[in-house]
Amino acid sequence: MVEPVSQQVLAEIRRIAIEELEWKGAIEPQHDLLLDLQLDSLGLTVLAVGLENRFRVKLSEEDAVDLKTVGDLIRLVEARAAQSAEARP
Amino acid sequence: MKGPALPPPRCPTVSALLADVAKTPYGLIFADSAERETVVPWAEVYRRARRAAAGLARLGVREGDRVALLLPTSPAFMDGFFGALLAGAVPVPLYPPVRLGRLEEYHRATARMLQVTGASAVLTDSKVRLLLGPSVEKARPRCGCLTVDELMRSEDMHEVSVRPDALGFIQFSSGSTVDPKPVALTHHALMTQVTALDHAMPVPEGTPRVGVSWLPLYHDMGLIGSVLSTMYFPGSMVLLPPEAFLARPALWLRALSRHRAYISPAPNFAYGLCLKRVKDAEMEGVDLSKWHHALNGAEPVSADTLRRFAERFERWGFSARAMRPVYGLSEASLAVTFPPEGRGPRVLHVDPSTLAREGRVEPGARGLVSVGSPVAGFEVEIRERDGGALPDGRVGRVFARGPSLMSGYFEDVAATARTLTADGWLDTGDLGFVLDGELYLTGRAKDVVIIRGANHAPQAFEDPLGAVDGVRTGCAVALGFTPEGSEDEALLILAERAGTEPSAAVEEQIRAAVVAATGVRPHTVRMLEPGTLPRTSSGKLRRAESLRRFLAGELSAPKRMGTVGMMVEMAKSALAMVRAEQDP
Repeated sequence: MVEPVSQQVLAEIRRIAIEELEWKGAIEPQHDLLLDLQLDSLGLTVLAVGLENRFRVKLSEEDAVDLKTVGDLIRLVEARAAQSAEARP
Repeated sequence: MKGPALPPPRCPTVSALLADVAKTPYGLIFADSAERETVVPWAEVYRRARRAAAGLARLGVREGDRVALLLPTSPAFMDGFFGALLAGAVPVPLYPPVRLGRLEEYHRATARMLQVTGASAVLTDSKVRLLLGPSVEKARPRCGCLTVDELMRSEDMHEVSVRPDALGFIQFSSGSTVDPKPVALTHHALMTQVTALDHAMPVPEGTPRVGVSWLPLYHDMGLIGSVLSTMYFPGSMVLLPPEAFLARPALWLRALSRHRAYISPAPNFAYGLCLKRVKDAEMEGVDLSKWHHALNGAEPVSADTLRRFAERFERWGFSARAMRPVYGLSEASLAVTFPPEGRGPRVLHVDPSTLAREGRVEPGARGLVSVGSPVAGFEVEIRERDGGALPDGRVGRVFARGPSLMSGYFEDVAATARTLTADGWLDTGDLGFVLDGELYLTGRAKDVVIIRGANHAPQAFEDPLGAVDGVRTGCAVALGFTPEGSEDEALLILAERAGTEPSAAVEEQIRAAVVAATGVRPHTVRMLEPGTLPRTSSGKLRRAESLRRFLAGELSAPKRMGTVGMMVEMAKSALAMVRAEQDP
């Protein structure tokens, strides 16, 4: 069985937060990136670049609009991944 | 204290230097996060720049016009930067937006920087341009906002020659701040700076002439210290995008090894980031033994970071003697002091309380790192408040004089007059002392918070607090400090309370407001009783004094006025009223 993309993205966010950003708490989709995960601009950059590399997507600067929670980020990466899958022959 | 004599620069202008380096076999190497590399020889950089210059001239950009660049580390940045120079214009590199970062503050800061420099054109890429609408709309550059691709459509070439005293570029004294100051540098200043760098960092024999940098190109150490200096040496430079380094710090060390590079600069935090996040597995086969100049600057240097970095990476050939803690600032183009090459860091242990209270050096427990002696052509003096020179071992304001100082803040005579003296000395706003011919920095008199190598005006952190109810309006200060047991400067917020909400809840709101507005998370938030923060006679908050009292443990609430005191005050006030009424 293939794991849904959203689960893979959540797993990757957890991995980056724990391994790269020394985050020790839980990470759930309803968590706020700034308030709950306490990410700063460095943390957001590390997370964005990490997700880009893992899922072969490009997150652009305007993606920050309306992006608040872990769930928002999962949906964004999922949508970008679907777009790039369509674009491939 | 004075540095060695400056040899005359090999070329009079940066434009002439580009034409000169184009004759060499060297170039720029752009590496990405997958370690793929694109080589652009200097000859190609020069050819493309002449095309870009033709494009700018067609667009109506005239000699002396400012051209803003909002571009990531890429060949397009070089097209825009050198294209503007060859068109006789003045490039103004600004920081592009951060991925997933907040945009409101970004637009405000960008629009302001475009306005204060009166940029006639904005060069960017198609992705960033989509976002720039609000900034550009406010600033309305005369020749518009366009991508470098659009500029390069024609095969025409263009190149004008400029005088050495013409402006070479404008860099901002701080990154993302409310009030960044535009530092105007002439071609002559830039050329003398790279000449001094060349003098301080000779290429070791038998080493490939190549360096590595992940520093952003809108930063003095990234553009002057990495790109322009490489053109002068001459040699090649491997450029990594800053975000690729932040996401995976090992990319920096691996690039150094791959190219057997001898030079690479970075702020202190970058060395700390490697300690934390580079895994041994990523270092397989890595050899850092050719790294001869490991420059550490742009923020306070920690003795601990230097020691731990050398210990950890010794296994991969890194030598502690390569570490060179340096000092400079954008107002001086870049470097002011350098320690001798090949010696390694010199650490002096001083007593922190004698230092804080009396400004005197006594042996003690706090390790301070020497940033060396003046670079070629520069002199440094420590002065007391009234301007008199201080003897060795006494803390005062650091003044610097040399040929690469800015000509001034662009079109801001008042701010320039506050910073540059009539006889050509720059008040750096930094505090320090000289001992045995070397400079040690102890703090800052100017209001700047340095986080990860970027300078921030304190207002950037204080303004968002206006929206936090539990904080007395206008009664909070943001300061940079190095917390106990930490190696990097961090953000401290001291705020006077309003209302009765518990401190812990207000502190949380302060943290959230600051990180949302600036992307920087406060390390410590301290709630204070109203009236605790020191003020000037006109009621302005005194940030440096607030920090001194915080560090000395002397921040305390004002004495409550007793009944007797109150009566005396009332009587005084009544008396004053009577007098006022009697006056005609």
